Amino acid sequence: MSGIAVFLCRCFGEVNRVIDLDSLQKKAERNNDVVSSAVCESLCLADDIEKTASRIRESGAEKVVIGGCSHLARGGAVVDALVERGIKRSAIGLVDLREACAWIHKDHPEGATEKAWDLISMEIAGLHHRRASDDVTVSVCPEAMIVGAGPAGLSAARTLAQMGFKVHLVERGSNPGGMLNLISHVYPSDEKASEKIKTFVDEVDKNSLINFYPKAKINSITGFAGNFNVQVSSSAGEQRLRVGAVILASGARVWLPHGLYRYGKLKNVITQMELERQFIKGPREVKAAVFIQCVGARNHERPYCATMCCPSSLKNAVRIKEENPDARVFILHRDIMTPGSVLEAYYRNALAKGVQFIRFEETNPPEMLGNERVEGVEVIDSVSGMKRKLECDLVVLSTPLIPNDDNVKLAHMLGLQVDRYGFFSEIYPLHPLETRMDGVFICGSARWPVSSDNAMVQGEGAAAKAAALLGSKAVSALSLSRVPGEKFGHAAVNAEKCTGCGNCVAVCPFAACRLQKMGRKSISRINKLRCKACGNCVSVCPNGTVQLPEQDYRAVAAMIKQAFGEESAL
Amino acid sequence: MKILIFACKWCGLIGADGAGKKRIQLPPEFRVIAVECAALVEPDAVIRAFASGMTGVAVLGCHLGGCRFNDANHAAIKRLELLKTLLDATGIGGKRLLISFGTAHEGYQYAEVVKTFFEELKTMPSTVAWTASL
Repeated sequence: MSGIAVFLCRCFGEVNRVIDLDSLQKKAERNNDVVSSAVCESLCLADDIEKTASRIRESGAEKVVIGGCSHLARGGAVVDALVERGIKRSAIGLVDLREACAWIHKDHPEGATEKAWDLISMEIAGLHHRRASDDVTVSVCPEAMIVGAGPAGLSAARTLAQMGFKVHLVERGSNPGGMLNLISHVYPSDEKASEKIKTFVDEVDKNSLINFYPKAKINSITGFAGNFNVQVSSSAGEQRLRVGAVILASGARVWLPHGLYRYGKLKNVITQMELERQFIKGPREVKAAVFIQCVGARNHERPYCATMCCPSSLKNAVRIKEENPDARVFILHRDIMTPGSVLEAYYRNALAKGVQFIRFEETNPPEMLGNERVEGVEVIDSVSGMKRKLECDLVVLSTPLIPNDDNVKLAHMLGLQVDRYGFFSEIYPLHPLETRMDGVFICGSARWPVSSDNAMVQGEGAAAKAAALLGSKAVSALSLSRVPGEKFGHAAVNAEKCTGCGNCVAVCPFAACRLQKMGRKSISRINKLRCKACGNCVSVCPNGTVQLPEQDYRAVAAMIKQAFGEESAL
Repeated sequence: MKILIFACKWCGLIGADGAGKKRIQLPPEFRVIAVECAALVEPDAVIRAFASGMTGVAVLGCHLGGCRFNDANHAAIKRLELLKTLLDATGIGGKRLLISFGTAHEGYQYAEVVKTFFEELKTMPSTVAWTASL
């Protein structure tokens, strides 16, 4: 059994005011595994770390137990400093004697001292069984796949191609452009959507680094950061792609308000997208138009604001006003959402052009008048409380964007998470364009409803993030940690003991486990680069075949045995 | 009273740290084992803890939907709830296993969870008789 060195920190009296550290040191000396022990004033000071490291070397101890403050306080820094001085991370055990013992048990010094010793002996027992996961390094394929050729996907493709990376642009439809193909003008610049997207579409045609796959469907994605294997069937037939990074820019779709405001039953009650389609054909003659905001949004079912419906209504209201100067245009809203200086000016412009705004309550929605075609709208103005009857020949319903149906399927293939509505989840709050799976990035409305401008910005950001991965020659499994700090390790399978039951495959949240045929039986294989060491597979394994080397069942059992002194054990 | 707490590194342990920083006083008869995720807590380990004479075992994890490992804690909570019924059947009592997700990531919350668990275990019959006979 390897020797263990125990170092206890007084923390300038913070710890030994409550815990009798000298008695702990005596107990430690009596332990057969402990070859060296010391009580220091403060382990986190630079010269004490130096002293500690040299003492460990002199004593010949292979493993170290540090009793000091918690990992979050200075303990983590002490461990890092010792790792810098050549001690393996898996050989260091940190016992929290300050936050988890001295400070919370001030009134029970005896109990605290007892607890401190139990915690130290638990750590000593656990350290015996702790091993380090073996790292693997895999080269990175410097190509990227971008799912969706809307504004987000196109700008990501352009950015990556400009950096010199090969891009596979996979699109569900037959033309690049996404939702910009369906609308007439974009806010807030009021330029034609087809012109706005033209430079990007031209780039797809001209740049030899961008391969465009129209009418494509992703059949499967396997692999890990740097090496994804994708099966795509497109109009060019079935293809296998090997890419280093995946950027999801698959966008969202418009919710249709069936059953609300007699949509689909009354003529001239249309959605914003239908109005856009009419605008693409040419000017539309309108005598009076009513826009209704928040149709199916900011309610119980979809409590979110889709952010792009208010500016879209402002844009189209102003356009109707410009094309038909005598027309009356009303916007019935619950709140006008125009954040930022540009959109606020857009709102004021609509006010100046004579668009009228009426606020209504969610509980008192406007009512449609008319039998076959819409003749008017009745609404209770929430400011005055008065019922108003607005005669009109056009009602436009602003509906929110909702996630695509295949988001869940894609998330399952990639080991991602979708939020409760079905949009892809980012790593909140510090990595807005990254996902929990390394090498998979999200941008545009696949992530959250955004305007075309914002989608393009996000596309560039996701491309920059992907470039950081694609530009590196190789990735190592232990460096791929989507959680702060060092990756804990990764699960390992004992191929001889594995019975191939597949429990681990079913529970893995990152789709890192799969069954592989080995002769007559199949065994579980865990992808070290996809595994994030959550331990789900360990818990469901019927015979302990899958283990995290950093904290396997023997370590936990040994710790439980020591939890309340040796005598409590069986 | 012997209580063993499995605390997830991202919630329970941060709560434990916060309780320490706030100097919230707690009874010393509990020990904490830090785990990377609550999903790593094997049902076998919980049973082993009861077999070694624990009065209660607590598993503290992140709130559902806030796990750093996608839905790993969903699987964990299902497994542990199932284990509770097993503990009921064996006579140990499912109430001796505290499963708490998302309630212990702040110091005062952690302290509250631990204190209430202590109070609850005090009302239960002593385990000394049957652990001594083992």
